[in-house]
Amino acid sequence: MKQRIHHILWQPETFLALLVASLFGLMGQLDPAFIQWHVQRELSTHAWELAIIAIPMTLVILTGGIDLSVGAIMSLTAITLGMLFQSGCPLPLACLAALLAGILCGALNGWFITRMQVHPLIITLATMAAYRGVAEGISRARPVSGFPSSFAWLGQGLWLGIPVAGWLFLGLLVVMLWMMHARSFGTHVYAIGLNSTATRFSGIRVDRMLLAIYTFSGGVSALAAILLVARRNTAKADMGMGMELGVITAVVIGGVSIFGGRGSLLGTCLGILLIHETREFVSWHWNRDELNLLALGALLILSVVFQKLLRHKRATP
Amino acid sequence: MKNSTRHYLSIAILLASITAFLGACAPSPSESSSKTSGEESGRKITICLIPKKKGLPYFTSCAAGAQEAAKDLGNVELIYDGPTDGSPDKQASMIEQYTLKGVDVIAVSPNDPDVVAPAMRKARAKGVHVIAWDADAVKDARAFFVNQASAKAIAHGMVDTMANDLGNPSVKTEVAIVTAYLTAANQNIWIEHMKTHMASEHPNLSLVAIKPSDEDQKLAFKVTQDIMKAYPEIKGFFGISSVSFPGAAEAVRQAKKTGQIMVTGLATPNSMKSYVKDGTVKSVVLWNTAELGYLTVQVAEALATGKLTDGASSFDAGKLGEKKIEDDHVLLGDILVFNKDNIDAYDF
Repeated sequence: MKQRIHHILWQPETFLALLVASLFGLMGQLDPAFIQWHVQRELSTHAWELAIIAIPMTLVILTGGIDLSVGAIMSLTAITLGMLFQSGCPLPLACLAALLAGILCGALNGWFITRMQVHPLIITLATMAAYRGVAEGISRARPVSGFPSSFAWLGQGLWLGIPVAGWLFLGLLVVMLWMMHARSFGTHVYAIGLNSTATRFSGIRVDRMLLAIYTFSGGVSALAAILLVARRNTAKADMGMGMELGVITAVVIGGVSIFGGRGSLLGTCLGILLIHETREFVSWHWNRDELNLLALGALLILSVVFQKLLRHKRATP
Repeated sequence: MKNSTRHYLSIAILLASITAFLGACAPSPSESSSKTSGEESGRKITICLIPKKKGLPYFTSCAAGAQEAAKDLGNVELIYDGPTDGSPDKQASMIEQYTLKGVDVIAVSPNDPDVVAPAMRKARAKGVHVIAWDADAVKDARAFFVNQASAKAIAHGMVDTMANDLGNPSVKTEVAIVTAYLTAANQNIWIEHMKTHMASEHPNLSLVAIKPSDEDQKLAFKVTQDIMKAYPEIKGFFGISSVSFPGAAEAVRQAKKTGQIMVTGLATPNSMKSYVKDGTVKSVVLWNTAELGYLTVQVAEALATGKLTDGASSFDAGKLGEKKIEDDHVLLGDILVFNKDNIDAYDF
């Protein structure tokens, strides 16, 4: 029993939960208006795209990989959606095409990684530039606007008192939690991250799993792009710029090891919450956008250092 | 080992107790703060001034004028904040945040009118007065646009200045434009007016290239070099944003083409002083940025107090005097041309 409590205490998630709780306490103290439900609900709309992409990114990083192209895939799929809509294609069909484009982009990443044995960092760095280049090229940097208001509901509307995008995130999260904990899929993901060669020799089809995970990442990035287009009522080639950094930061703050094999979706959720609340609160309270980067940097250092200490502790009980 | 375990445990307990303590205190300050703000809300008006990109000298000089107006008016609390990376999405998020905070007026210089329009409309629906300044927004998303100078006046001013600096050439002369973003609404309207004015008044100026600098001075420098390579006969550059102008001037100076290639455009005087002194640039076109900030805050305050209403045709802007309103545009006035004789008189 005692050992069990110890085990829970030493989890990075416990530390993160404490950090989130003290952050909320601090925010409530400094600015009570900020932690009101309707304020939080409205501000949450700024984070759903990041949150949604963080789910596949967690899987990618757990396998020891990385996907730098998520922001560029958002850009390319947003442009696909916008240009199809502009040329008179029905909106649901345009959304479907955007999703398909995202899946293709992700699959291409996966293909290079598994078949060509290119390191994920290198190939997604390359496709990041390529996908955004294509988006800039075909759109010639012109924005598409004027989507119907029914579409805006997807990015701005509420369903049962919670933003629609929030439901999508929750749905995706529940499905992935089930996959990770109730199916062998989860165990295999961790196994690949810890030792992919050993996993391969255990008869697990590592390549097929990696291909699926990167494809999933592309598809989810497209979903996030659709939400962003709906929220801002505009499709532009510079959408999702810098998204990969925000997402990776959230996942790393959430305690997922960048070398793979360690971390959890729960940690990622806490990481997203920390990053989002810090970002919103700093500009809410101090009215200074420049403080934001500073706060995020401090948060990242704090969380990484603490997790390092924790890991050390757990390793030597 | 045991020691460090205790050490960590104490940190955890400390964190938990801080949380509990803060949580317990949270409700009480909310009561007291709402009380004080209730007493004060009598006349204090909160105005939020959002630039395209925070940290650019151009916008900082506007903000200085805005601060002065806030001081002159006395009943204004001014917040100056904007995206440090110039992202339109961030700008929209900020408008949403300030709407939630319940400011009285939001004055925004939109980076991309379409992206920020939904956020601006939402703010208006919640009773916040929204105006555009420096760059216009989508028409139904704002009440007024505080316009520094009509697009026509700026565009014609730049073309006339260029023709004049080149000595009104009698043969075909190649010129190029280095703009901000290809999607920047302001710049695109100016470019249209510049083209028509060149065609009608200065047919010898022929525009050979329009390149974006993405509000990045290094990129402005690079595209200017590229244009000089591609068009060796080029005689003039327009740098039509406060970032692309110094970038273009630097490229011409480093190519040792000072005096052979003229650079003109829009920028703050301080950033161009050295180029004006060495002759790379003869004239800098701009408007009085401090007065633009001043007028914006005046308009915002008047809108919040009901002194200014839809359909007004003129506006008393304090020390700036009477300003004309045309088609929802509050007009600041004419352009200002800086040259080596007067540039030292301005410091922003």
